[in-house]
Amino acid sequence: MHRVVKWLSRASAVIGGIVLVILIVLTTLSIVGRELSKLGHALGESWFGQMLIASGIDEINGSYELTEAGVAFAIFAFFPVCQFYGQHATVDVFTSALPRRSLAWLRAFWEVVLAAIIVFISLRLYEGMLRYLGNGETTLFLQFPVWWSYAASVGAAAIASLTAIYCAWARIAEAATGRPILPEG
Amino acid sequence: QEVTLSLHQFLPAQANVPKLILDVWADNVEAASDGRIKIDRFPSMQLGGRPPELMDQAIDGVADIVWTVVGYTPGRYPSTEVFELPFMMTDARAMSSAYWQMFEKHMKDTEFKDVHILGTWVHGPGMLHVNKEVKTPADMEGMKIRGGSRTVNILLEKMGATPVGMPVPAVPEGLSKGVIDGTTIPWEVTAALKVPELVGHHTEFEGNALYTLTFVLAMNKDRYEGLPADLQKVIDDNSGLEFSIFAGGTQADSDGPARALAVDNGNNIVTVSGADLDAWKEVSQPIFDEWVADMESKGIDGQALIDEARALMDAYEG
Amino acid sequence: MSRLELGFWSFPILLGLIFLRAPIGLAMFLCGLLGWIFAMNGNPTPILAKLKSETYTTFSNYSLTIIPMFLLMGQFATLSGMSSALFKAAESFLGHRRGGVAMASVGACAGFGAICGSSLATAATMSRVALPELKRYGYSGGFSTATLAAGGTLGILIPPSVILVIYAIITEQNIAKLFLAAFIPGILAAIGYVITISIYVRLYPGSAGTRPAVPMRERWKALAETWPVLVIFVVVVGGIYAGWFTPTEGAAIGAAGTGLVALVGGNLSWRILGEALIGTAKTTAMIFFIVLGAALYNNFLALSGAPQYLADFVLGQDYSPFFVLSVILVFYLIFGCVMDSLSMILLTVPIFFPVISGLDFGMTPEHVAIWFGILVLIVVEVGLITPPVGMNLFIINAMDRETPMTETYKAVMFFVGSDIVRVILLVAFPVITLFLIPA
Ligand code: NA
Ligand code: NA
Repeated sequence: MHRVVKWLSRASAVIGGIVLVILIVLTTLSIVGRELSKLGHALGESWFGQMLIASGIDEINGSYELTEAGVAFAIFAFFPVCQFYGQHATVDVFTSALPRRSLAWLRAFWEVVLAAIIVFISLRLYEGMLRYLGNGETTLFLQFPVWWSYAASVGAAAIASLTAIYCAWARIAEAATGRPILPEG
Repeated sequence: QEVTLSLHQFLPAQANVPKLILDVWADNVEAASDGRIKIDRFPSMQLGGRPPELMDQAIDGVADIVWTVVGYTPGRYPSTEVFELPFMMTDARAMSSAYWQMFEKHMKDTEFKDVHILGTWVHGPGMLHVNKEVKTPADMEGMKIRGGSRTVNILLEKMGATPVGMPVPAVPEGLSKGVIDGTTIPWEVTAALKVPELVGHHTEFEGNALYTLTFVLAMNKDRYEGLPADLQKVIDDNSGLEFSIFAGGTQADSDGPARALAVDNGNNIVTVSGADLDAWKEVSQPIFDEWVADMESKGIDGQALIDEARALMDAYEG
Repeated sequence: MSRLELGFWSFPILLGLIFLRAPIGLAMFLCGLLGWIFAMNGNPTPILAKLKSETYTTFSNYSLTIIPMFLLMGQFATLSGMSSALFKAAESFLGHRRGGVAMASVGACAGFGAICGSSLATAATMSRVALPELKRYGYSGGFSTATLAAGGTLGILIPPSVILVIYAIITEQNIAKLFLAAFIPGILAAIGYVITISIYVRLYPGSAGTRPAVPMRERWKALAETWPVLVIFVVVVGGIYAGWFTPTEGAAIGAAGTGLVALVGGNLSWRILGEALIGTAKTTAMIFFIVLGAALYNNFLALSGAPQYLADFVLGQDYSPFFVLSVILVFYLIFGCVMDSLSMILLTVPIFFPVISGLDFGMTPEHVAIWFGILVLIVVEVGLITPPVGMNLFIINAMDRETPMTETYKAVMFFVGSDIVRVILLVAFPVITLFLIPA
């Protein structure tokens, strides 16, 4: 189970990361296209200008909407690895004096609450997807259905929920047995 | 007070619509209720979410009242697009009046059944603000223009221009960087965005608007129905046809001072008329046909809506 | 309880949860969630409906997409060997002076900060390169770790900076102008640290060794090796400011360019790319969970009317603007000792910004917003190195197990002192921050 969740969370992060890289490349190409198109119009009559204009090189339309949808998916896909490696920001100062065992139970408690909230968020997101599935809303520019973007995020959120539940269980087991299960950092 | 209502919208508090329309409405309601209703105003999306979600916020009760652009949720309120078709609008008051009447007749219990609508209106004539002189549709060839609505984007494509999607606040940056060659917005919005300093040319259409946007002031249905009858009456008395005409008119009236700024700046203002105007209308005709066909697929008689809107606007006496 | 009272009570409850070690994003989310339910008189329907789109909307915010891009750019910069090139160049010029290797570390941090948007990444990356060298030339443990912890804060002070992006979004300011305004204070920070080092080595001569000078030719050669850093900085930050592209586009170009440098330099295998993506993922998710919790909490606060009430109250008191500003900055310094900078910005700027905007500092509202942003940025960054909770201190101490934390704590107070002097200067002379920004 541990290895499955570890693999799943890392794979999810890499897939989200690849989407991010694709968006970065897309945005870069879009800017290059825009500048070349501007250059083409600036050169106007010369053969090079004509060639640039005729080639139809220009910015990639709708890269704005694709970036928004893609990054939302990527961030949901990033959650499992953050959870698995215990990367959420906390303030430790006031609890650092607690005995080891009590601290472990405190961590387990918050991990359970966190898992509950992540599952809750995912279910709400799913409801959001259903809403857009039903009402026919599209994006303003590319006019693809809004629910598509939601559906991608719901998929990633499902993995995040799974990881969160496993981590909650693992923290309880850590507190109960006193043995570390999840990696630190 | 007995009732506190939240009013949520996307513009900063000092912008024209909040200052000259929404605050006036809210103040009137508060005064007419003898202080029994208090309206808390939340500008700039302070309660969260993004503008396209305002309508759902009113439906769900996240906010009690919202003001929003209907076109922010493309596809959900198709009948309102009749007012956004190119060169449909001649006068904001007349159209806001027609909009309310047609809303009551056709949309209240269908497309808008989940909310209680308090007002429906349109902004002043939508027009072009561009970095070179535009008189005829042919002049638009190859230009990159930020389009104000779905139908405007289609029109731009028909003229060989490229519609660019960007939110209104991004327009100044887009213009100054040459990402776009121009934008479609009414005069009113140009002042805050400093558009006259960024482009040298403006193209108006005599007696006509290239396009306009439809707005609604919408209230959560349960919240409205849960009010005591006398407070409902206070809301009703301040809403509806008269308020819609006031709102549309006020927005159109804000065009004047903004236009004066462009004139002061020495900008070139082209007013398209006569044969040139006919050419523009001719290019836009296929959009009407496509829209009617699209409406038919949704089970709506688009041509009847167009005819009714025109008849009501003609009949309007300001 | 009225909405206003709910708003005021929620703050101590939130702090209580955070101090009980609740993940910060979670604590804000819970307070926001419960706050909304109570504000709606126990009716959960509105907030449940709001949450259908809240997460997606927050994560897909176009302006925020800049954050994962800058973080990935930092990962690539770390992999590409630019950190060691920077350190070598700085060290060849400064290394032979008293405390020179420490000064070189600060200089290299400043250079790295110009292509990395995060303090922690800058601190961690430069430590990997500089710590062994500092040890080799006989620098004491606490002095070395403190220098790098302080140097790491340059990662955020010198643009690009993730925190400034967040501030710009919350306060609706122009990111490019904030980056430009951060530049001079960032350089001042580096100079301040260099002066601090030279004072420190005079007070504690035993804390630093010496090293022979490097011939001039080699110095220039080492400097020439750092050209990718310069090119990327000029293209990204210069391009954003000159208006070639939007900040998000700039971040994309920076990430692509830095990735390319890493690839061409042979530093990017599939495995390493995977690690870079996972590293980006961890930090991005951590940041966005806090952003999400803060969004919900801040919406609730707005609904309660508490920030507006506080602003009206303070503005009604006729306090001097500089007094109010000083109180707020001291608050940040104190809280910075226990909280991380991002959470503090997200939590408090929506509360304090209306107060500051309402005061008359004799400047345009935009100038006030930019100036306040830079001041807040600096004081929260001081928080990264103030004991007991300083993220930079933790990171570097984790990399240098031989040095006890108390040694680091002692030495770092000198750098905190230099930071405080700089904050006082910037408060007293707003022109230092603003003279590049047209009114
Ligand atoms: Na930086
Ligand atoms: Na601290």
